Amino acid sequence: MTPEKTIAFFPEASYGAALNCVGIAQQLRALGARPVFICHPGFSDVFAEYGFPEYHLADEVLDGKTDWTDFISRHQDAFRQSPYEQLESYVRPTWDAIVDTALAVEQPLRQLLNRLKPDAIVLDNVVMFPAIANAGVPWIRIVSCAETEIPDESVPPYLSGLSAEKSASWDDFIREYDRVTAPAHKRFSAMMNDCGLKPPAAPLFLGPSPHLNLLLAPEIIRYSRQKPLDPSRFVFLDGCVRQEADYQAPVFAAYNDQPLVLTSFGSLGAMDVSMIKRMLEVFATLPFRFIVNVGPWRDEYTEVPDNVFVDSWFPQSSVVEQASLFIHHGGNNSFCEALYFGVPSLVMPYCWDGHDNARRAQETGVGRMLPRYDWQPHELEVEIRSLLADKAMAQRLKSNALKMQAHAGARLAAEKILQVTAKPAASSARKNTPKRGGDSIA
Amino acid sequence: MLREPKKANRRHVELAQKILEAANERGMTEGERLAEQAIANICNVSRTPVRKAFQVLAERGILLRDGEGSYRFAIDPVNAVRLEDSGDASADDDVRAAILRDLAAARISEQQTVASLQRRYGVTRLAVQNSLMKLSEENLAERGAGQQWLLKQFTVNADSHAKSYEFRLALEPLALTMPDYRRDPTAMLSLRQSMLALKAMDEMNFDRKLFLRTDMDFHILIAKGCGNPFLAESLIAHHTRRFSLPTNVHPGTFRLMQANNEHIQILEQIERGQMGLAADLMRVHIQLSQAVRPRLAGRGVPASLKMTAR
Repeated sequence: MTPEKTIAFFPEASYGAALNCVGIAQQLRALGARPVFICHPGFSDVFAEYGFPEYHLADEVLDGKTDWTDFISRHQDAFRQSPYEQLESYVRPTWDAIVDTALAVEQPLRQLLNRLKPDAIVLDNVVMFPAIANAGVPWIRIVSCAETEIPDESVPPYLSGLSAEKSASWDDFIREYDRVTAPAHKRFSAMMNDCGLKPPAAPLFLGPSPHLNLLLAPEIIRYSRQKPLDPSRFVFLDGCVRQEADYQAPVFAAYNDQPLVLTSFGSLGAMDVSMIKRMLEVFATLPFRFIVNVGPWRDEYTEVPDNVFVDSWFPQSSVVEQASLFIHHGGNNSFCEALYFGVPSLVMPYCWDGHDNARRAQETGVGRMLPRYDWQPHELEVEIRSLLADKAMAQRLKSNALKMQAHAGARLAAEKILQVTAKPAASSARKNTPKRGGDSIA
Repeated sequence: MLREPKKANRRHVELAQKILEAANERGMTEGERLAEQAIANICNVSRTPVRKAFQVLAERGILLRDGEGSYRFAIDPVNAVRLEDSGDASADDDVRAAILRDLAAARISEQQTVASLQRRYGVTRLAVQNSLMKLSEENLAERGAGQQWLLKQFTVNADSHAKSYEFRLALEPLALTMPDYRRDPTAMLSLRQSMLALKAMDEMNFDRKLFLRTDMDFHILIAKGCGNPFLAESLIAHHTRRFSLPTNVHPGTFRLMQANNEHIQILEQIERGQMGLAADLMRVHIQLSQAVRPRLAGRGVPASLKMTAR
């Protein structure tokens, strides 16, 4: 009897990546493998709920000095800025924090991998961890973000929110991005060199895996690339949705027979209670039902309108399935879930690849984008009403959803991962030095 | 597929549920006949409401008509889901449900008057008063000063589940170790059958409704058996309340399957008389059931800010 394969998942500490991995892990379990999860410090108990073993990186790497109020205030200021302005105020400190984390977990991660002895490691992150490259087993990259994360001459710059039509703004953004990420990249490169690995060329923090790379982006939103991705190493999943608990929509005090609109900006996006309260004032005037994820700030909401239901957690994919419109921040998981269930998106981005997905939703006709803060009540109302009334878009999205569901991305990912574990050990990351523009990708 | 009846009297639905429980306690199985008079005697009612309750069960596919006025079980009663209060609810019940729904959704504040609720729901004063009395009996509301009523917001707010687990963690293991704890072998046998039926299901076809019924029956059985009327009263009131309130917890099916296995283990230790061990397993079960998630997560969020929230 073949021993079961142990597949170690190491998603970044965000719900999108975590739940995406859960979908693939569920399929691996069904195929007889043993998926386990490695948890970033402070990010745990998400996977145990789905029945997967969790291994926590040592607690001593926890940074206990961060000021909660200051963190929220700084981020909320940054979230009001354009993608270009955010390069300095948000992208730079975020890359600093990401590299800090990579440095802090390197040793405990190496020790843990030595103990676990997995047959493969699945990395759903934006940065490389030397311990993974040096683990001596194949590693699989799940591209966490929008397709823009894998660069190409014909793809707009990552995090820019720029249109697919090339313009001078692309170069401006690229120059500024290179500048603000240079210090973090320098520290990252030093870490890689110290571990005997050649770092990816700046400004990349993670190159493609030599074994397998998985992307969520469905065909309907994909870019046309100058250098197409090598299909033997890059597999598009067309979405990747987990099995979630059934969700029975609550009884509302009004409009129970009207379309359901889900609003969720992720836990970071839920921080701005006053902005969400402003949205609720508009929702109260509309003849639809609204479910709003308000994160851990649920008790801040009183006098909730009769057609609105707020809560701190929902089994999101089960709710999206029942929704007629999904208002979200452009997180890659949320965007792909909306497409998977044929639901139009109203994207109100505030950071990172949310800008890219918002632009892409609009230019591919699968939704609309609206600035997170710069809107008048009637503008939000018009967007909601028009998206709900757009029968042509709804029809196109439903047809696309059938294609995506038939593609069974989570199952496909699980099968590809098992195929990788069946192959003899491949080349290590030492030989893999990606450059901007995807020279070594295709 | 089972068809939901359009209209049934609430009392008949309640009696139907009682008949199911009696059948389970007696170990009845699929195909067995139910004698109208015998059931009337067991439930201490006349034959007319029993006949109506049989109709309710037949409409839900649990009983099959077997000749004039006679019925037999179409399925094993152990596998029947708890009958919901989908009966022809009175105006009072509707108002009670609406108050709870709106309180849980933060649409109304915890301080209310009969007049304010009358205005909101457009019903008679009597209907609101009756609803408030019922909520009061259920320990979900109490009279305040003057015309005020205080709805117990702590039972439905964001922290209520964490506090409920805290309460249960303190009392449920204790209930199992009380000196006068009495086992109810018939009820345990019936529960075990439901649990084993659930254990045989996989993740895709797991019967969540049957699990919820078994879960409630299991925890109430432990409370009833503890032998201390004060402790039993507190726990039964708490369980009844938590199962009747709107929930904001959505455990995954895999967790429910695990919880069912934990129930079986606890039940086995109770059957063996190993009450200390059963109490220890109950502690583990309650702690595992607490859904704990990071409250803030995202790229670059410091670990110390992820701080778990229940």
